[in-house]
Amino acid sequence: MTDVIKSEPFVINIGPQHPSTHGVFRIRATVDGEKVIDAEMVMGYLHRSMEKLAEERTYTQNIPFTDRTDYLSSMSNNLGYCLAAEKLAGIEVPARGDAIRVIMAELQRLASHCMAVGAFANDTGAWQTPVMWCFREREKILDIFEVTSGARLTCNYMRIGGVAFDLRPAFEPMVRKVLADLPPFIEEMEQLLTGNEIFVSRTRGVGVLSPELATNASLSGPMLRGSGIAWDLRKADPYCGYEQYDFDIPIGYQGDSYDRFIVRLEEMRQSVKIIQQALDGLPSGPFRTEVPLALRPQKGEAYARIESPRGELGYYLVSDEGPSPYRFHIRPPSFINLSALKEMTVGGTVADAIVVLGSIDIVVGEIDR
Amino acid sequence: MTRELSGPEAASLAEAAVPGSVDRTTDAACYLKSDHLVATLEALKTSPEADLVHLTNLCGVDFWDHFEVVYHVQSFDKNQIALFKVDVLDREAPVVPSVVPVFHGAWMQENETYDLFGIKFEGHPNLYRILLWEGYPGWPLRKDFLSMPGGLQPGLGEFAGVSHRQEPPMKVLE
Repeated sequence: MTDVIKSEPFVINIGPQHPSTHGVFRIRATVDGEKVIDAEMVMGYLHRSMEKLAEERTYTQNIPFTDRTDYLSSMSNNLGYCLAAEKLAGIEVPARGDAIRVIMAELQRLASHCMAVGAFANDTGAWQTPVMWCFREREKILDIFEVTSGARLTCNYMRIGGVAFDLRPAFEPMVRKVLADLPPFIEEMEQLLTGNEIFVSRTRGVGVLSPELATNASLSGPMLRGSGIAWDLRKADPYCGYEQYDFDIPIGYQGDSYDRFIVRLEEMRQSVKIIQQALDGLPSGPFRTEVPLALRPQKGEAYARIESPRGELGYYLVSDEGPSPYRFHIRPPSFINLSALKEMTVGGTVADAIVVLGSIDIVVGEIDR
Repeated sequence: MTRELSGPEAASLAEAAVPGSVDRTTDAACYLKSDHLVATLEALKTSPEADLVHLTNLCGVDFWDHFEVVYHVQSFDKNQIALFKVDVLDREAPVVPSVVPVFHGAWMQENETYDLFGIKFEGHPNLYRILLWEGYPGWPLRKDFLSMPGGLQPGLGEFAGVSHRQEPPMKVLE
């Protein structure tokens, strides 16, 4: 018997409106049977031309735009932009401002990783239970943001020179409660997923990324660390006083989707550690340097980057001494992390492509801007 | 802290890797000659003292009469970052050699720069408008795209003492 079932390649669209694409993102996959033989990304459904709009507004007016790029980590985006503007204008931030920024950025990392881990579990087939548990914890962090900045998702809390308001009295007990609740929650997630045979067989060896490819494809964040490269800007290029805090960089060894999941889970533990240290040693004093509303930095350029939950988030600003940036460029981590998508999906099945996409943890607002 | 290589430092690395590749230097950046760009970045990637293996950021900037393409390249082991630039003087048909053969990560960012600036990257395997659609009129991030007559710009009128930018030195598209 030499008969084999003949199959012809055909094109299947994953997305744009599909729960697994986490927004409006489309993969045009060419499949042969169930095997993906080519994957083409189609994006731009959410393009709002922020880089052009930002050239028409003052430096301070641009902060709300940065909320709306990566809407799952608005605090980190605010921070990256403010750091770039401060670098351009040569503004120093007081110690209390830096500490508040670190606490907020790490809380945002916890909230964002909660979402990433929960949605990833959803993509692998652990339908709804993990994501609801994650939402339960994320909710508490969003409550903290609401108390501090007045908004839950688009916080608009950082300012050039510091932060917008000082912390409320309710802030510290709320953060202490989250810090007490999170480690048991992470344990719970570990028990539910890490050793779960179905979860492991769905993610182990899926979307393997070698360290060479991860470097060459300009990846950053958990994608890079999942492949075994210990590169974290909080350690390598500390900003906001990250060098004072004691934490570790978790790395993976096989570079597959499972490793990226474990790296995110472990990063949450490290974030809890950082927040604890920052909260214990929170300095008193001013929280912001006064900066003119219509800031006019001297002629020049600045590239500042931070370790956002998704990777290296960079802002490249060019000033012509005008009141608005001459050029405002975002280096979006999710956009660039997609450059290895084809290499990771081709050869696997369609179901594996969903897992790979979930492990990249894309936010479409940041891809399209 | 990551060491930010100054323009002259980056230039000496580039000169050592490929002689004659540097066009000019400023304090912050090293301008490479466009025909030596790919060879220089390739050599800097493999050379042990530069070790610039990770292309972090690639973007374009429009200066009315010419474009610049900006490359931030960094090394993990040496913990240093260098800023290279390429001048694109021909505004009508801007062309830069593509660095995708050296850095696979340039694929996305070159497509984005092509989409928004109209700079063609020669040798790019699949250059298409990644965010906008094929046939979109114009290149949105160019300075002459939708600028208003008289240099007026929306959003800034309410700030006293804010003067508008000078008139563009070239004709505004109708």
